Amino acid sequence: MRCLFLSVALLMVLSGRAVTAVDFSRQIRPILSENCFFCHGPDEAKREAGLRLDDEVAAKASNDGVVAVVPGNPEKSALIQRIVSSDPDEVMPPPKQHKVIPPAQVELLKQWIREGARWGRHWSYEKVQRPPVPPVGEVRTNPLDAFLQSRLKHEKLAYGKEADARTLVRRVALDLTGLPPTLAELERFAPPGAPTPMPEGDYEKLVSHYLSLPAFGEHWAGQWLDLARYADSSGYPSDQPREIWAYRDWVVRALNKNMPFDQFTIEQMAGDLLPSPSDDQLIATAFHRNTMTQNEGGTSDEEFRVAAIVDRVNTTFAVWMGTTLACAQCHTHKYDPLTQKEYFQIYAFLNQTADADRKDESPLHEIQTAELRAQRQKLQQEAAALEKQFSALPEGWLKGYEAWLSSKPSIKDKKTAEALAAEAAKRTPEQVTLLKGHYVRQTAPEAKAERSRLNAVNKELARTKPVSVPVMRDLPAAERRKTQVQLRGNWQALGDEVNEGTPVVFPSLPEGKTRDRLALARWLVSRDNPLTARVTVNRMWESLFGTGIVRTSEEFGSQGELPIHPELLDWLAAEFMDSGWDVKHMLKLMVLTRAYRQDSRSTPELNERDPDNRLLARGPRFRPAGELLRDQALAASGLLSFKMGGPAVRPLAPNMGLTTAFGRSNDWTLSVGEDRHRRSLYTEVRRNSPYPSFSTFDAPNREVCTIRRGRTNTPLQAFVTLNDPVFIETHQAMARRVLSAADPLDLLFRLCLSRAPSAQERTTLSRLQAEALADYRSHPQEAVKMACEPLGPAPAGADVAELAAWTAVANVVMNLDEFVMRR
Amino acid sequence: MNPVRHDSLQLTTRRTFLSGAGQFSLGAIALHALQENAAASLPAAANPMLPRVTHHAAKAKRVIYLHMSGAPPHLDLFDYKPELVKHDGQNCPDSILKGRTFAFTTGVPKLMGTPRTFKRYGQAGMWMSDACPNFHTLADEITMVRSMNTDQFNHAPAELLLFTGHTRQGRPSLGSWATYGLGTENQDLPGFVTLISSGTQPSGGQGLWGSGFIPSVYQGVQCRSKGDPVLYASDPAGMSRNLRRRTLDALRELNEVQAADLGHAETVTRIAQYELAYRMQMSVPEVMDISKEPAGTLEAYGAKPGESSFANNCLLARRLVEKGVRFVQLFDWGWDFHGTSPDSGITDGLTKKMAATDKPVAALIKDLRQRGLLEDTLVIWGGEFGRTPFREGRTAASKVLGRDHYPDCFTLFMAGGGVKAGFDYGSTDELGFSVAEKKVHVHDFQATVMHLLGFNHERFTYRFQGRDYRLTDVHGHVVRDLLA
Repeated sequence: MRCLFLSVALLMVLSGRAVTAVDFSRQIRPILSENCFFCHGPDEAKREAGLRLDDEVAAKASNDGVVAVVPGNPEKSALIQRIVSSDPDEVMPPPKQHKVIPPAQVELLKQWIREGARWGRHWSYEKVQRPPVPPVGEVRTNPLDAFLQSRLKHEKLAYGKEADARTLVRRVALDLTGLPPTLAELERFAPPGAPTPMPEGDYEKLVSHYLSLPAFGEHWAGQWLDLARYADSSGYPSDQPREIWAYRDWVVRALNKNMPFDQFTIEQMAGDLLPSPSDDQLIATAFHRNTMTQNEGGTSDEEFRVAAIVDRVNTTFAVWMGTTLACAQCHTHKYDPLTQKEYFQIYAFLNQTADADRKDESPLHEIQTAELRAQRQKLQQEAAALEKQFSALPEGWLKGYEAWLSSKPSIKDKKTAEALAAEAAKRTPEQVTLLKGHYVRQTAPEAKAERSRLNAVNKELARTKPVSVPVMRDLPAAERRKTQVQLRGNWQALGDEVNEGTPVVFPSLPEGKTRDRLALARWLVSRDNPLTARVTVNRMWESLFGTGIVRTSEEFGSQGELPIHPELLDWLAAEFMDSGWDVKHMLKLMVLTRAYRQDSRSTPELNERDPDNRLLARGPRFRPAGELLRDQALAASGLLSFKMGGPAVRPLAPNMGLTTAFGRSNDWTLSVGEDRHRRSLYTEVRRNSPYPSFSTFDAPNREVCTIRRGRTNTPLQAFVTLNDPVFIETHQAMARRVLSAADPLDLLFRLCLSRAPSAQERTTLSRLQAEALADYRSHPQEAVKMACEPLGPAPAGADVAELAAWTAVANVVMNLDEFVMRR
Repeated sequence: MNPVRHDSLQLTTRRTFLSGAGQFSLGAIALHALQENAAASLPAAANPMLPRVTHHAAKAKRVIYLHMSGAPPHLDLFDYKPELVKHDGQNCPDSILKGRTFAFTTGVPKLMGTPRTFKRYGQAGMWMSDACPNFHTLADEITMVRSMNTDQFNHAPAELLLFTGHTRQGRPSLGSWATYGLGTENQDLPGFVTLISSGTQPSGGQGLWGSGFIPSVYQGVQCRSKGDPVLYASDPAGMSRNLRRRTLDALRELNEVQAADLGHAETVTRIAQYELAYRMQMSVPEVMDISKEPAGTLEAYGAKPGESSFANNCLLARRLVEKGVRFVQLFDWGWDFHGTSPDSGITDGLTKKMAATDKPVAALIKDLRQRGLLEDTLVIWGGEFGRTPFREGRTAASKVLGRDHYPDCFTLFMAGGGVKAGFDYGSTDELGFSVAEKKVHVHDFQATVMHLLGFNHERFTYRFQGRDYRLTDVHGHVVRDLLA
């Protein structure tokens, strides 16, 4: 209700569009959707009085002599009559709905009818057409700026001044790689005295540099993994470990090599159906194997297989089409023209894979390099030869056998022990073989060399076990599943059989072609699909500007918010597709705008006009994710390991002293060495016990797809950055790093904030440092704790009290609003 | 729609605040405390945790929810079935088994009457078994709902349904809805606290106290029984309280310069949150320290300072609500009475488990009563479903008696907070296979709890992905008979 009121109000206030012709898609349809569609919308089962307001013909037709919308005549339109009625039995929406249409919106409805009640489709279902770029005075304006500036001009606003070079370097570095700039990068791109604004060519070099770093893929993979609901455990109560990290590394690689987004989509949805798929194309299909598996005793595998398919349908539509298809699982959608039958037609595409909620997560794909394969083959052959030798029971190895028998050795294996216990004469030939075998394998001194070799070979084989990853694999034709509508979303209440198909409101699939996952994937990224490109560029925009052009980046349907810059969104979507779905190209376009380069300072006037900075009359500023905050602290302090990929790692974490239901301990064994300081992307994700400090900063637990994270600001977050040993360790490392510098405070500021401290900052922090130092001089034991727990002993000869005092100063600087915010 | 129409209020506040050219007031500070994307549904103009106005006067101002994870055997505790005892050992009738599946039982199981002894207690003559002697003393305090009913017979989905209104992950929990609606009465403590005993977290996982798609400020804060009760609330080793104060002073000083320079409300919010954190560092350990409780109180609960137990958690629950925490959620593991081991048998196993349970619960309710808190504190005790009137299939031949999961009927009880005292509600049929009268589905139960907290469950919603979501999904009716 409020979101609609706001968006309509915003449009009126900000654009003054109410005085021009009313736009059905942007101004009228949202009012009807919010207030009327629930009972007078697409869902036939819930439709009241046979009236349908989401369809032009129906709305303008006579319904028992009553016409809802009479073009040109608001007074004769039942729609208006019922809305303004004071009779509680007549008034719409009915009082029990607790909805009231504000007078301004009623006026809009009247004006729209007066103007002829022109109809249109929901804006995001229209095919993407590239709108003309509005003319702006300056030559060589980035088209994005042209759209933004023309809107600002309309609002009698203008861009603010450009941010200085050092702010920009930090902003671009954080946005593109998730890491702060190094001192060398600062020196290169923003040397002392660098001009503001930064020369165009220099700025472009800066952007290209960060787009080319491997850290780029790691940073953007983090966001994709929220959509992919990636986790290193299977979820549900037992939350078993799951080996699927090869998929996470695939995402990083794909992003770093700038795989076109259409290919990125096709490989994840249906890489296995491509002709002779590569290892990578199979690994990519793990996208949809990130659904949870239920291993609780007494549960039905089919019930949870169905749950996984439902999740795949919902996730596919949420990620690519910004559409909550989920509603249509149980009933025809109330607001958007999506029927329950159509839901199960999509379901049918995804209902043919071999996985079935099994504990072993099969089917799995094993990844071995040729080298590894050869190595393992050799070992396997050697093991087989040795096994054969032992099984042959060579006479030479049995010299001590009789003596061993009479020594009555203790034997663990039950059968062998029985054989030994049996009277010698009564032993069966099998029992004799068993005993001899045991003797040569365990005891015979003559076979010692072979025995230890076999052990070593087996150990080596275990060590070189290939990495596996759950993948999508279609069932053989004979085992294909029949798909039926599940009544009210109940997997056991089955209705009509359905075949693969896409909702009629969207473009259709090519005629006469196979309808499988690959066809669905290609449909998602076809040039005619109205949503995928819009939804994807909007998410990029959100990552860089803090808020999407459509604020509800998860919902582009009737109930979502309207785009604040509709033409810009369409231009970007068109450009994205026409560039060959080039992700880095789009990011670069956005980062190169003047809008992006602005200083983020605001003014009271601007805060009042545009509190959420939707119009971008200043630079964007927001609090990044918890993972980035940890990475930033590690990188600035010099602790960060740049090792990429591989199994998940377990950095310092608090002990909760609990186990998961029917499962393992929630507390984990810490990784050793550099694995404690890897990028947060590599931290093990356990759905039942997500890493606590990330959760505190709004990280989801990855049970289901999350399109957009929250951005709260709470005291528990202050606890994390002030006291969490993970962060304290970075403060301690920072103290060690800066103390040897001629001007420690200057270095501390440059590492953390990419700038030198101000005079006031110097005064405040020097005072703190001096006071802390005095304290620690008189309490050396406390100084040791402050400087070394948990980082470890101070370097030989270090002044521990100084280190402790500087740790306290780093604790302050690394909690500054400026450090915690990306500005 | 939000319970309160804050739209205009919020816009006014925002305008007044922002036009004040750098003069920030605490009242306006938390404007951005919520995520920006939730602005559409901002529940309050200022601090998201401030106490707020409800749809109607709330009878319960706070909740203590005692959840026995695994499902207590209601037929051996409360729901007395003499007919079942009479038919003990007979084959379960076909009419009941037809077309049904059970978690661990296949074929034809044997009916099992309770081995426990039942008697009537209190003025209402409330049936209870010998397994829970301390509950007998509560008979005049509680409302016993004997006609509870759910849709799910596996633990995780059933717990999710009970606590989030939906069987799959991703929805806000009961406690987060309550905190979202009511805020908290003590800004120096979390509004919603979760305490877990018996070493294992509930099957439904952290979603049972998660905030789903509503802002994460409303999620339950899991307090530990060892180490910092709230994660990272302790200063690092080697930092004195005095130095912490000085570091925070320096931080505030520098952040204030930034706030004035940048003109962003969020910087001011951050300053306030660090100050709040500093106050919480004092208030949290204080409220979580039970060692200063009188010996008599510790004895009554069976609580022992320094240990981790359900008894300690019950005492903590009282201390927390007393200090103004809105919702305290306890989970206790070990209630899955299948009979697969002596501990999960309904004879000795149940006696043992109950011995660590009924005493602290009785002490808690009496303690709240004595302190005048029970009147507006709702206490709930129960599980996620019931247990079968027949013997569990896998353990049918063992010496230990156990029952399988059963969704159609179960029992839970409530006390205080606007529900009747000494009241029996609903019943099951003679053998305990289905609700005989006054069925209360978990959605009805949730609607009733929301009503007691002052909310109309149909109007108490949060907009997400274009839809107004509510705790009760599209179901639920308030059970008015339960209201005092």
